[in-house]
Amino acid sequence: MKTLAASTAISTSKFLTGFTAIVLGLTIVLGLGFLQDANNTLHNAVHDGRHSAAFPCH
Amino acid sequence: MADFRKLVAISLLAGILAGLLLSVLQHYQTLPLILAAEQFETPSAEHVHDWQPMDGWQRNGFTWLFNGLTGFGFALLISASMYWRDQRDYLPGLGWGLAGYLVFFVAPSLGLPPELPGTDSAELHSRQAWWLFTAASTAMGLFGLVLTKQRGLQIGGACLLALPQLVGAPHPEVAHALAPEALQQHFVLLTAMNNAIFWLALGALSGRLLRKVTFQ
Repeated sequence: MKTLAASTAISTSKFLTGFTAIVLGLTIVLGLGFLQDANNTLHNAVHDGRHSAAFPCH
Repeated sequence: MADFRKLVAISLLAGILAGLLLSVLQHYQTLPLILAAEQFETPSAEHVHDWQPMDGWQRNGFTWLFNGLTGFGFALLISASMYWRDQRDYLPGLGWGLAGYLVFFVAPSLGLPPELPGTDSAELHSRQAWWLFTAASTAMGLFGLVLTKQRGLQIGGACLLALPQLVGAPHPEVAHALAPEALQQHFVLLTAMNNAIFWLALGALSGRLLRKVTFQ
């Protein structure tokens, strides 16, 4: 039983570590690819990158 | 936490290196096409006063930064997936890179091809929504098709791969582009090639760097 409990604990922490990395990655990618601001400052800064990565632009 | 920091460090390094490679490719291939297409655009009055980076080092700098940061973000997805599956080294990394290319470039591009500035498209939010739906559906579809062994899940995965393409991307009623058709086709081809190189490099680098660390 001890072994089972220990291995479950490891896999939970492993899941959470990977999950946090994935949430962080998606936040960065979707933020850069999709955010629009009122003055278009962010859009204009990343404009060429968005076009070249095939994110919907304009 | 220690494992998380290692994943971040690996992803940052892989993202910056692959982003640098992509930036060099874009600088000589797709950027000239974007600049050429902008010659056909007339600036609309409402946008004239918005800040934009000056052509040259400033504009390129932001693009390089964008490539490095998106590379970091995408590498986090790859390295976390490999960490979960206890994979390391080039080959599985290449597999994940190919998956990322299919999910984040090929599938969305089938409905919404990469566009040059000055191309008329459907309303932005509807295209963004379709893009997100397509990436999510393709990711789940690939997972079901490739990483499960049950027949039912594999069939479900194949359906999820096809679903966004059957629904179809939003398009304007009358398509109109300012740049010549040949320029647009050239842009799509080069973009597809550059992103393939970027994703394969990103996957291979992430996989190789994972070999350098031991997890708890």
